[in-house]
Amino acid sequence: MGKWLFERTWQCVRRPAWPIVVLAITFSFSPTMGAAPESVASYRKTVEPILTKYCIGCHDNDSKKGSVSFEADDPASLIADKELWLKALKMLRAEMMPPRGKRRPSAEQMAQVVDWIKYSAFGIDPHDPDPGRVTLRRLNRTEYRNTIRDLMGVDFNTTNEFPPDDTGHGFDTIGDVLTISPLLLEKYIAAAKSIVAQAVPTQPGVPPETRIPGQRFSPANSKTPGSGDGPLVLSYYKTATVMYPFTAPHAGRYQVVLDLSANENFVDGQFDYNKCRLIFKCGDRVLLSKDFTRQGRKPYHFEFEQEWKAGKQDLIVEIQPLTPNERQVRSLTIQLASVTVRGPMAKEFWVRSASHKRFFPGTIPTNPQERRAYALKLLKPFVTRAFRRPVDRETLERLVNLVESTAAKPGQSFEEGMAQAIIVVLASPRFLFREEVTMPNSTDHYPLIDEYALASRLSYFLWSSMPDEELFRLADQNKLRQNLSAQVSRMLADKRSGEFVRNFAGQWLQSYNIDGANVNAFAVLAREQPRDPKAEQMRARFRELVRKAREDLTDAEKKELEQARASFRNGFRRFQRFNLTGELRRAMRQETEMAFEHVVRNDRSLLELLDANYAFLNEPLAKFYGIEGVTGKQMRQVTLPADSPRGGILTQATFLIITSNPDRTSPVKRGLFILDNVLGTPPPPPPPDIPPLEQAARGGKGKPPTLRETLAIHRKAALCSSCHNRMDPLGLAFENFNALGRWRDKELNQPIEAGGQLLTGESFKDVRELKRILTTTRRLDFYRCATEKMLIYALGRGLEPYDTHTIDELVDKLEAAKGNPSVLIRGIVESPAFQRRRPLARAEATTE
Amino acid sequence: MSVEFAHAALNRRAFLRGTGACVALPLFESLRIGGLLAADPAVKLASSATGAPLRAAFLFFPNGAIPSAWWPAREGTDFPWSRTLKPLEKHKAHVQILGGLGHKTAEAGPDGPGDHARGGSTFLTGVRLRKSATDIRAGTSIDQVLAKAYGHLTRFSSLEFTCDKGPSSGVCDSGYSCAYQFNFSWSSPTTPKTPEVNPRRAFERLFGEGKPGERQANLQRRQQEDKSVLDFVLDDARAMKKRLDSADRQKLDQYLTGVREVEARIQKVERLGRVKDPQVETPPGIPSDYGEHMQLMFDLMVLAFQTDSTRIITFLLAHDGSNRSFDQIGISEGHHDLTHHQNRKEWIDKVADIDLWYVQQFAKLLDKLNQVKDVDGKSLLHNSMIVYGSGNADGNRHTHANLPLLLAGAGGGAFRTGRYVKHSSKPMSNLFLSMAHTLGMRKLERFGDSTGPLTDV
Repeated sequence: MGKWLFERTWQCVRRPAWPIVVLAITFSFSPTMGAAPESVASYRKTVEPILTKYCIGCHDNDSKKGSVSFEADDPASLIADKELWLKALKMLRAEMMPPRGKRRPSAEQMAQVVDWIKYSAFGIDPHDPDPGRVTLRRLNRTEYRNTIRDLMGVDFNTTNEFPPDDTGHGFDTIGDVLTISPLLLEKYIAAAKSIVAQAVPTQPGVPPETRIPGQRFSPANSKTPGSGDGPLVLSYYKTATVMYPFTAPHAGRYQVVLDLSANENFVDGQFDYNKCRLIFKCGDRVLLSKDFTRQGRKPYHFEFEQEWKAGKQDLIVEIQPLTPNERQVRSLTIQLASVTVRGPMAKEFWVRSASHKRFFPGTIPTNPQERRAYALKLLKPFVTRAFRRPVDRETLERLVNLVESTAAKPGQSFEEGMAQAIIVVLASPRFLFREEVTMPNSTDHYPLIDEYALASRLSYFLWSSMPDEELFRLADQNKLRQNLSAQVSRMLADKRSGEFVRNFAGQWLQSYNIDGANVNAFAVLAREQPRDPKAEQMRARFRELVRKAREDLTDAEKKELEQARASFRNGFRRFQRFNLTGELRRAMRQETEMAFEHVVRNDRSLLELLDANYAFLNEPLAKFYGIEGVTGKQMRQVTLPADSPRGGILTQATFLIITSNPDRTSPVKRGLFILDNVLGTPPPPPPPDIPPLEQAARGGKGKPPTLRETLAIHRKAALCSSCHNRMDPLGLAFENFNALGRWRDKELNQPIEAGGQLLTGESFKDVRELKRILTTTRRLDFYRCATEKMLIYALGRGLEPYDTHTIDELVDKLEAAKGNPSVLIRGIVESPAFQRRRPLARAEATTE
Repeated sequence: MSVEFAHAALNRRAFLRGTGACVALPLFESLRIGGLLAADPAVKLASSATGAPLRAAFLFFPNGAIPSAWWPAREGTDFPWSRTLKPLEKHKAHVQILGGLGHKTAEAGPDGPGDHARGGSTFLTGVRLRKSATDIRAGTSIDQVLAKAYGHLTRFSSLEFTCDKGPSSGVCDSGYSCAYQFNFSWSSPTTPKTPEVNPRRAFERLFGEGKPGERQANLQRRQQEDKSVLDFVLDDARAMKKRLDSADRQKLDQYLTGVREVEARIQKVERLGRVKDPQVETPPGIPSDYGEHMQLMFDLMVLAFQTDSTRIITFLLAHDGSNRSFDQIGISEGHHDLTHHQNRKEWIDKVADIDLWYVQQFAKLLDKLNQVKDVDGKSLLHNSMIVYGSGNADGNRHTHANLPLLLAGAGGGAFRTGRYVKHSSKPMSNLFLSMAHTLGMRKLERFGDSTGPLTDV
């Protein structure tokens, strides 16, 4: 079946009639074209009369409202149009259709239509639903990082090293879009080498090493040595001498390693010409004297070979400012990260590293035969874990051969051979992809996946990482299914489930995006200030001047430009405390994650995500929100004042900021977010040719219209109204929160009205009432939406009509359990879609 | 005695001096490998009449351009420079402004909304994209068609750059996969070529890790190690592929393509000889300043061309639909939001200013290419063909006809530069076909939705 058909949502505008579309539809559904006679009979008997009574008035071939028609000469082709029925199902359930004011079918009639769509039109067998097809999934960046951490004990920063993963349906777990480009493959090989270089000790012995963090250095005249493990910050502008009294245990050759970085606080358009000289000494001997200019966080690494006597070796760092007359603009600093002393270098002093002991237990045999056995013994459990299922003998043989052939090369050791074998394992498609196998000898129509595959599905769902020892052990004994419920509880209680919180909630609620959200606090807050024509004029002039090439500017203009810059800086400074600093963004993201985590860990109702009398705050975030009485940087649960509009994800800064433009709120984006991610009834995307509304929108003389006014005009156009009537009231309810997520009573000198009415009829006067509506009358919509999102994330594929029954069952369970997330998570794990696969042959027959 | 790792031995050739300003890259004729290609009569591909390498680059800027500020008032050689294109005036001898070209396949047609996704991945493919969040299908892009034809001449058959860090999460344009917006080079209809965003990584991939002088050895060692890895995983992938069904096999094919590409590169180095170390400091990671980031990537483009490491580069400056604000020129609103300007003059002005800013950056690339002398004594710019354009014409209305397009470089003397030519409503694919012909692929009859090569270029 053509997937793209399912992707398309209904249109609020009439689509140009294209013969090709019709053809495509016909072809895509050709396998089911001639609907079974019994479904035609049941359609005629149960569905057609209801449609005729309630729907056909608008949805016949003449009116065809929303380009939907239930009129057909041949009911078989109508019945076969799964896209149409899915649309109808969604509209019925969301109570969008029949529209308010029109007669509605009874509950019993609704149930009849719904059942018919599910079991006849979609042909779902409720006792053996189609589990769907999950495309072979490669590990995404997060999963790779976590898996490497659990397998190798190395934290490899995939965000910096790998290109971003493509997402589908809002998540980065979708097999279809997780492609491998040649560039990524190169990076996988490079990553494997760098990880193994960090994790696998190829030298049995290493010289002893002492790392002295920068903060252990103290001013030369102080009696006490410094403490702390961080870097020591030294200004370019101030003379300083710091030292650390090192004592060499033996005479001999040593290596001294100096790590530092040169930093600045970037100020746009202004340069800092200051320089300083850094002198690094051991006692009286100067090891390094180097001048530093402005550098943006650039790391430096210096190594020095030293011949030392046993005893005191003072390590000294001096800073000498070189430019006393330059303006100090960018707070230039040297960050002294550490000094590392390695030695004595003579082999007699070498120590066996802890990692070597761990990696190569016992002694490595010298006899070739025994060595082979030793290599095999080490590799077998490792490769099993890396491939997340038992490994065949042949693969192991090939790996051991590789160990031997590498070790046989001149200058190479057995350890290096092992390292090479591990590199190869980490670059193998069996590590990078999650291959799934079904239960051997299964005769089921849709066979169960084997227990190793189940262990991986579980661990990547709840931990975004590989299965741990216990999951492996159970899969080995074929006892994982027997103990599924207990394992899910254990996994949720484990702190690794924090990954589920971060990755699922982070993408569903888009709190991931707060780090990169582009907000200009100055522009946002200026909208809440009285207008300043002078400043506006200056801004316009500034833009006029920067447009010119610098060489074309007159001296007067250059001066003017400088003045304008300075004036902006002052303006910006006034609003600086509202700027979204890294610290604040982090707190905002944590707020959303913690709210979700609180609900999941304590099995509270999912409805608390929408409305709660508490929030998760620290002092900076509480201050930003204007909430009193929270001190310290620690994020914690705070009970909100009774009259607070906050509480729930929709009044959190993440949602409020992410859905805003850089300079103002966007009620449309906010409304869209809620339809997409809370109510699960996304409207179709806007038409490509948006009609201009500027003429009408210019209301009073020179007074820019409020957003509410602009949108009201926009909604008057028939083309726009059907969708904007759904989005705008939802979004406008949040107008009291500006684009930074801060409360405001006015915008552009106009009081804010937040009240409105939903298309389903419920009216509200402010955001608190809206939240109440969402958690009561629209509760089932939210349950369904949360279920669909989590199912997509867990399965790694988009949803199809045949999933409807599974989703309905999960929603029913959720409703019965009053929204407890554990019921949903367990339900997903136990569902056929999670437990089974299409058999290979069948899968091939149904794709393309 | 001390060993310094990070400090450049050759500070005067540092990548950056001051803020945002890049130094002119010195001439490294000695860096060229292989000598004059014309000496080899079998190799006519991708060379100019004088035998110098001919290069192609494709640069994409987001969200179209304000048409009234972009297009000059008159056609011909004697056209007045428009507000947006003014920074290119000094490069007139090397620039052609192409009017009238477009992508019909990017129009809504049966697919409805999604013009930014379509603008992005239609740009170099000229095909209709499959509208799906997961089931992606575009076409092979022109740069990859060229790369397949003469990628064997250089160490890298092509390079892909971007200044866009990609989507962090969420849904992209109107039901289209994010892959369509954040890639615009496609090596097959289902495999986007992921662009590199990090200048440091891009440099190390080209020239090796470490400080100047050590890189060759590092690169060579790395490739030796890679060989044994490749042998093993190739077998592994083949065996695994047998166990899978057809859709999953596609994934393994992507993997295998990558393996073969790395393999081919190792063989090419053995055949073409080693790359010379450009003796410049390795550039830092991603700078926080957008303009600075772009200039670093431009420097890498120049270095890659100069060292003949590749002849094909694509550079996605930002994805179509990008909503970046430009505080450095006093614009705090998002670019994409502004393009839907509702005909407000103030907004139109701001968008035109952003368009201008991008052209100013591009002009700096041309400066650099113009300053470097190629083996035939001409400039690198002369021996290049560089397409600069956007996948939307008017960002407000999401049109795809009459796209804002420039062709910089003289194609080794093949092009009649210094003109503004209006081609009456032709597929942009026609331009790509002409470029392919100029580069030596004379037998290519069609590309994308082309109707024939573009005459009068």
